[in-house]
Amino acid sequence: MMKKTHDSAIKSERRPRPALWQIICIVLFLFYMLLPIISTYVFSIAKRWDRTILPEGYTLDFYKRAFQVSYFGSTLRNSFILSLSTALVILIIIVPTVYWVHTRLTRAKPLLDVLMILPFGIPMVVLALSLVQIYNFPPIARSPFLLIGAMVVYAMPFMYRPVVNAMQAIDANTLTEAGQSLGANVFQVLMQIIIPNILPGILSGGLLVFSTVFAEYTLTSLIVGARFKTFPLLLVEYTRINGNVAATFSVISFTIAWLASILILWVGSKGQHTTADTIRVR
Amino acid sequence: MIIKAKSRKARSAWLGLLPFLLFCLVFEIVPVLFLIRGSFIEKSSGALTIQHYVDLNHPLYINSFLNSIKLSGLTAFIGVVLGTFIGYAIYRWPSVHAREILTALSDVTTNFAGAPLAFAFVVVLGMNGVVTQFLLQYFQYKLYPDFSIYSFTGLIFAYVYFQLPLMVLLILPAFAGIKKEWQESSQSLGANTFQFWWNIGIPILMPSLIAGFTLLFANAFGAYATAYTLVQSNLALVTLQIGYMITGEVRQDVGVGMAMAVLSLIIMSLGIVIYQIATLRAHRWSKS
Repeated sequence: MMKKTHDSAIKSERRPRPALWQIICIVLFLFYMLLPIISTYVFSIAKRWDRTILPEGYTLDFYKRAFQVSYFGSTLRNSFILSLSTALVILIIIVPTVYWVHTRLTRAKPLLDVLMILPFGIPMVVLALSLVQIYNFPPIARSPFLLIGAMVVYAMPFMYRPVVNAMQAIDANTLTEAGQSLGANVFQVLMQIIIPNILPGILSGGLLVFSTVFAEYTLTSLIVGARFKTFPLLLVEYTRINGNVAATFSVISFTIAWLASILILWVGSKGQHTTADTIRVR
Repeated sequence: MIIKAKSRKARSAWLGLLPFLLFCLVFEIVPVLFLIRGSFIEKSSGALTIQHYVDLNHPLYINSFLNSIKLSGLTAFIGVVLGTFIGYAIYRWPSVHAREILTALSDVTTNFAGAPLAFAFVVVLGMNGVVTQFLLQYFQYKLYPDFSIYSFTGLIFAYVYFQLPLMVLLILPAFAGIKKEWQESSQSLGANTFQFWWNIGIPILMPSLIAGFTLLFANAFGAYATAYTLVQSNLALVTLQIGYMITGEVRQDVGVGMAMAVLSLIIMSLGIVIYQIATLRAHRWSKS
């Protein structure tokens, strides 16, 4: 008991306060970051807001109108399909490849790293142009499948990092040897040992891919356009037709992005199972 | 005999990489190579030519490149300077909880680029925007018509929005490389804060600052959606021009678009290479 009060006395004595310049910097930073977002949310429920600093009235009318937009359901559905398919394809391609390179082909890791940096060096418009030019024959010309291929290229670095980090944290080589010594083949080791242990990494990578693809506009509008209208396309269309409805679409976009970010943080905080965890005596 | 067995195993191991390599080839590498080749080919005759690159010597394309480079450079510079200050403010914030929240906020907001962000800025700085109204009513200051969110200057505000948090995220780990002991020992030798930063702090941070600048530059140079929503045909930008060639909004020989694309690739690759080198140099300090 005495030790506790002694410690807390030291703590309150020593707790530093932020400097004035820090407070000013952070306040301005928060203001700049949050004002556009909050304004959009308020704009979506504002009755009239072109003459005053605060809206002249509030209404949920625009949300009603948004749900009645003919393409509302189909674009949301398309976006979900696109995001889920991309995440799935990336999962199937990346996870086994990372495992393979990590355990059997460490020499190829630099090559893998370079290939994962490559998408950052290719602007999306350039990727779109090159894909549309070379695959200009039916059936894949300007098809959703071509779009998924482009999305996978664009989003795979986001899955790569978390999976590689998770793979290193669990010491996949030792686990593989242990599994194989008990008679499991590579596929069994991957499915029953490795993947369950790197699940937080896969989930946070997958969520990141999902939310990135969901909000993506450039590749979608340039490669497939109206043939496969996704939610961001509908949003841009409405910025020119009805600003208030466009605001409601923005709110929906932002909210889905927030939810995904929160999920990512929550999954990430659940921690990675390291070898140290598994062998620690409980 | 042993050598033979080893090479057989190594060769079959590379087979495991095949699906991934195939995918990259089909959707990434071959199309880009095809693009580069196409930029040197005359569409109707199939002959090799550099005419497309010569055609780039046209006011529209020259302006596009100038505008894109100016926009990227400006927003990268602003992002680096402000981001470093804000990053340091976060780094030295006493509460761990607050630091985590601010870092998470940066993580989220840097991915907000695109149409929703552009639209949000119209709500804030548009003709009837929140800030526009505020300046009019409280400061009697008419933002319009000298300023417009649908312009180069307006685009700067929107771009800085996602450049800032990106720099914050990049620079935060770099501060850990500046040991507190160095600050204390420089103080004991009589240096003031400014001298410390000028002679020790900034040189150590320099690789990270350069890495940040090039990444922010590449980020802005390749951006499309935000610009498309805000300025469209009011401003000539490289990404927008290439976009018009794809959608066919511009009746132009695709070869020119390909030449523009190849030039963009060169600029971006340069940026990525500089970024990689700078990051490797930066790691030198954080490792010690």
